[in-house]
Amino acid sequence: MTLKRLIDNLQDYYMLAFRGLTGIFRRPFYLSDAIEQMDYAGAGSFVIIVLVALFIGMALSLQLSAEFSRLGLRMYTGKAVGITIIREVGPVMAALVFTGRVGAGMASELGSMVLGHQVDSLRVFGVDPVKKLVTPRIMSSLIMLPALTIIGDALSIFGAYYIVVFVSNQSGHVYWRAIRDVLIFENIIAGSVKPFIFGFLIASISCYSGLTTRGGATGLRQSTTSAVVLSIISIIISDFALTRILLYILGFSV
Amino acid sequence: MIKFDHVSFSYNKRSVLRDVSFLIDSSERVAILGGSGEGKTTILKLILGLLRPDSGSISIDGEDITGKTESELRDVRMKFSIVFQEGALFDSLNVKENVAFCLREYTNLSEEGIDRRVRELLRVVGVENAIDLMPDELSGGMHRRVAIARSLAAFEPAMFLYDEPTSGLDPVNADIICKLIADLSRDRRGFIIVTHKVYDAMRVADRFIFLKEGAVVLDGDKGMLKQATVPELSIFMSELNGNCEGEARCSK
Ligand SMILES: Nc1ncnc2c1ncn2[C@@H]1O[C@H](COP(=O)(O)OP(=O)(O)OP(=O)(O)O)[C@@H](O)[C@H]1O
Ligand SMILES: [Mg+2]
Repeated sequence: MTLKRLIDNLQDYYMLAFRGLTGIFRRPFYLSDAIEQMDYAGAGSFVIIVLVALFIGMALSLQLSAEFSRLGLRMYTGKAVGITIIREVGPVMAALVFTGRVGAGMASELGSMVLGHQVDSLRVFGVDPVKKLVTPRIMSSLIMLPALTIIGDALSIFGAYYIVVFVSNQSGHVYWRAIRDVLIFENIIAGSVKPFIFGFLIASISCYSGLTTRGGATGLRQSTTSAVVLSIISIIISDFALTRILLYILGFSV
Repeated sequence: MIKFDHVSFSYNKRSVLRDVSFLIDSSERVAILGGSGEGKTTILKLILGLLRPDSGSISIDGEDITGKTESELRDVRMKFSIVFQEGALFDSLNVKENVAFCLREYTNLSEEGIDRRVRELLRVVGVENAIDLMPDELSGGMHRRVAIARSLAAFEPAMFLYDEPTSGLDPVNADIICKLIADLSRDRRGFIIVTHKVYDAMRVADRFIFLKEGAVVLDGDKGMLKQATVPELSIFMSELNGNCEGEARCSK
């Protein structure tokens, strides 16, 4: 019984995610909704991403340079920081922040639209709620999460620079050269595929949770919570899978 | 024409409607009466294909809508204009944009044309000066009236559906809305009004369907309504006689 429900829900989710994504290429286009979502998701998340990224970069380089100093490998700090941030921490950190801020917002907004019969109103007016509500959100996440990830990566690297040069008293020149060495095609690809996948997962999961809200304020609480929990779980698991796949494709031997 | 043929419906196995059948012509002025939770809103949602019956069939103008897909239902839905119980205005848009929603969606009116049409519609429902407010800045009555204006902007519906348009309103506002409903049905466009206020229903409708425990227990005109012997209905009717009977019952 519950297994059947789970499979039904998964099927509904796949349908919604698929229709939401392909809606990008089908008329009518709700461009102004997409732009509004981008403003909310992207511009609105900018400050928090900047803060989080800066401090994660600083903490990471503190840890690494402390450990590397003991081993006499201080000159590798830059490289280790760069790789960790670009390939792993940057995309995941941005996705988690995005989930907390934007995913939760999407679920609760759509949830309250369902409860207030606003989604039914759209259907009555002959407007497809998936195209009007889900597609713009998927689109904005597909554009904004990668953009935020790049900004976050850059700030983390600057944060790390500050620690490396002013706290750990290493050469800035060596640090930047290490970072430049890290910015090769393979690493950039490895880091930039992830945010697209994460963005799609966050938007589709959150919209699905929101649109399936039932039962008043507690229902809303539940759908917001499950949007965040399911997004986080799927980010972490797909991050592992993607890392495995990308390392294989790009020819790194583990 | 709306035809319900032995329709049953349940939410998660909890039965709401049992074997409901009726035929409503689109020029009729019908009131669906019944207590809270008897399935009145459910009937409206079934008519619009927002919900699907468990058994039985629903046809609109001779077309069975029970098996239709969401995109096929579009044309059916456009025959109606509905005002939901809560008004259901889009709360991220102001009054003007709410009313303009369908104009933007379906017409190529210029910005000026939209503005003129929106003001015209708001004047019809008497809330023209609320044009720049957000839905949460409106009172209950204004909210309901803006929702009516929005549903008028849609297209030329063949029939209006109102879900408790007067509940929670003071008598003056309820009066305004009843007049509006009566006015809008003058050119032989019928309506279904769902309500538990018999007084309001009697003022606007000429056919009454009373629901009890998910079944139709009365379907007839004013005379039949007044003579009906259904116990619940007589409590409803007592509202008409200044609530004397109702109060008497309560104090018993
Ligand atoms: N989304 C839902 N999920 C589960 N049960 C529901 C849902 N919506 C309504 N119900 C149940 O179905 C029954 C009929 O609901 P409906 O909204 O049609 O009642 P109503 O006659 O419109 O009542 P009211 O006068 O209070 O608006 C109620 O008992 C309600 O508890
Ligand atoms: Mg109702």
